[in-house]
Amino acid sequence: MDKIAKVILLTVGLLLLFTIAAIASDTIELNQLVENAAVMDGQTVIVKGEAIGEAMERGDYAWVNINDKTNAMGIWMKSDDAKKINVFGDYKHIGDTVKVTGVFNRACVEHGGDMDIHSDSVIVEAAGYATAETFPFYKMIVAVGLALTALIMGVVYLRQIKK
Amino acid sequence: MNTFKGRFYSIIIISYYTGFVVLGMSLLMVVPILTAMVFREWNPFLDFIITMAISTILGLVLIVIGRETRENKSFVQWKHGFVVAALSWIVLMVLCAIPYVLSGHVQSIVDAFFDVMSGFTTTGMVLTQDLDHLSVSLNMWRHMLTFIGGQGMIVLALTFLLKETGGAYIFYVGEAKDIDLVPNVKGTARIIWKISMIYLIVGTIVFWITGIIIGLNPVSAFFNGLFIFASSWSTGGFAPYTQNMMYYHSFSYEIITIIFFILGSLNFGLHYAVWSGNKKELVKNIETQSFLITSFLACAFAVVGLSKLSVYSDAVSMFRRVVYNVLSAHTTTGFGSVYARQFALEWGDFGILIMIVVMLIGGSACSTAGGFKALRVGIIFKSVIADVKRLLSSERNVKVFRFHHIKDQILADQLVKASAMIVICYIIMFSIGTAIGTFYGYPLSSAAFESASITGNVGLSIGIVAPAMPVVLKIYYIIAMYLGRLEFLSVFALIGFIIGGVKKLWTK
Repeated sequence: MDKIAKVILLTVGLLLLFTIAAIASDTIELNQLVENAAVMDGQTVIVKGEAIGEAMERGDYAWVNINDKTNAMGIWMKSDDAKKINVFGDYKHIGDTVKVTGVFNRACVEHGGDMDIHSDSVIVEAAGYATAETFPFYKMIVAVGLALTALIMGVVYLRQIKK
Repeated sequence: MNTFKGRFYSIIIISYYTGFVVLGMSLLMVVPILTAMVFREWNPFLDFIITMAISTILGLVLIVIGRETRENKSFVQWKHGFVVAALSWIVLMVLCAIPYVLSGHVQSIVDAFFDVMSGFTTTGMVLTQDLDHLSVSLNMWRHMLTFIGGQGMIVLALTFLLKETGGAYIFYVGEAKDIDLVPNVKGTARIIWKISMIYLIVGTIVFWITGIIIGLNPVSAFFNGLFIFASSWSTGGFAPYTQNMMYYHSFSYEIITIIFFILGSLNFGLHYAVWSGNKKELVKNIETQSFLITSFLACAFAVVGLSKLSVYSDAVSMFRRVVYNVLSAHTTTGFGSVYARQFALEWGDFGILIMIVVMLIGGSACSTAGGFKALRVGIIFKSVIADVKRLLSSERNVKVFRFHHIKDQILADQLVKASAMIVICYIIMFSIGTAIGTFYGYPLSSAAFESASITGNVGLSIGIVAPAMPVVLKIYYIIAMYLGRLEFLSVFALIGFIIGGVKKLWTK
């Protein structure tokens, strides 16, 4: 009985492992799409990346650019899907991580030859957040010290040339 | 007794004027500092305070070293102008790289130097990482560098900081901006800056409105508009996002950039002539004629070449992806509406060849554009025709050939020789860049594309320029951008000055 239980556990474990591997391999990197654009043209792909900048609404649809650290690409999605994204990446934010399933176009006819993805589904996988801006204390000391030195030198110089 | 004409008088003069240029750049850092305050970006705020303080201190030290020059301005010679121009660019490259290094967005100091030189020279190649998370203030700085570099920063600093600019024309020519719109250089420099500032206001408003229409929020539309205008007008090619022009997904945005980068690539003399009511100059000028012919031919050949490869299936795509990139390359702007690797993977050798040719030709002389310039192409082409005509005509006929550039000018042998010399220098530099690229294992066409883009101060990439590329190649590219922008003479003068100084010291 114990043996049977072990075999079942092992089988389920292996199944889960391969399922996870299969899911991971389904997601394609944006740079791979650029490098293999001719082959991937017109295919349904799954990409995952950070939403950056902002959503640009164009009627019922919107452009959202995502960056997966290998490259960045525009996703053409429904405005309602774009509204699901709350945080976009910029200097003070890490944007929502979105998983997009859609059709990849090497030179989209609808969008003037753009290399883009027309989304079928958009899922926010991880919520974005504001990044805390910290700076070392010594940086402030150095900045104040240098600024004061420059100020004193400037005043002395101006007095000298006025003489 | 005047002791000024001592052993080090040249160093004193150079130190004095370089000090003012450094001080001028330091004052300009107020803009990113204010931007950082408005957006509460405290890290970049401190980075710019540190940089501004270091620049001010260095500028003042240099001015104090050269203080005797104040009373001895008549000693300023041509060599000093060239050396000040060449040296200032190197000093500023180091100083302006400080905010990049402190931001943590570059992998090495060489990368920071590369990006600053790319900005100053209006090249637009980027080694800064993670542009999508860059602070607004550092973006402001990047685009300011390219805008100022395009108009001429030595000119800006010296004409606005010095009361007397008797010898300023020397510095002006040193920065490859040898045009006299009005009799004095201060007036000419002010006209150049006036033209640029009017375009800056108009351009930013146009981009701002378009930005809002295409879905950007008003604040971001304003800053994107300002940055993209600065890059378009200065034919720089920087953009605030990784995707460059592809971020906006907008035909109208692209059309406006085309208008401004073509305007930016035209000679300031031509702008002034048209502004002064002389509209015929647009048609008669040898540079506009040359630019029109070469850009039309290049666009036509590129469209035909890429049609053969079936890269794009409709006219709109052809225009937005082919004509746009060819014009961007020809004006040496470097805005890209395709991914860098698409050139290598999709454009084919013929498409790449067209791009190399137009990148090397570049825009107009005394504009914000790079390359060996439409004026020189026009002069060399006219001289070839003149030589053929001379061969075919009777020996007793002595014909004088002319060309029109702002005014009617004689096609003198000296002028043709000077133009040909600069063109040869560019070609040598391009060849060396290509050779180094191939030495490091890049394909010939890619190495040639990148080298032409760097030599012509264009900024389009085929994928070689990346933080991982060999350091030797990075350093060569920095030198090539610098030489290409200053059109060799100033840098040669600096090298000659250093060698001469070393020789003197050696013999003593």
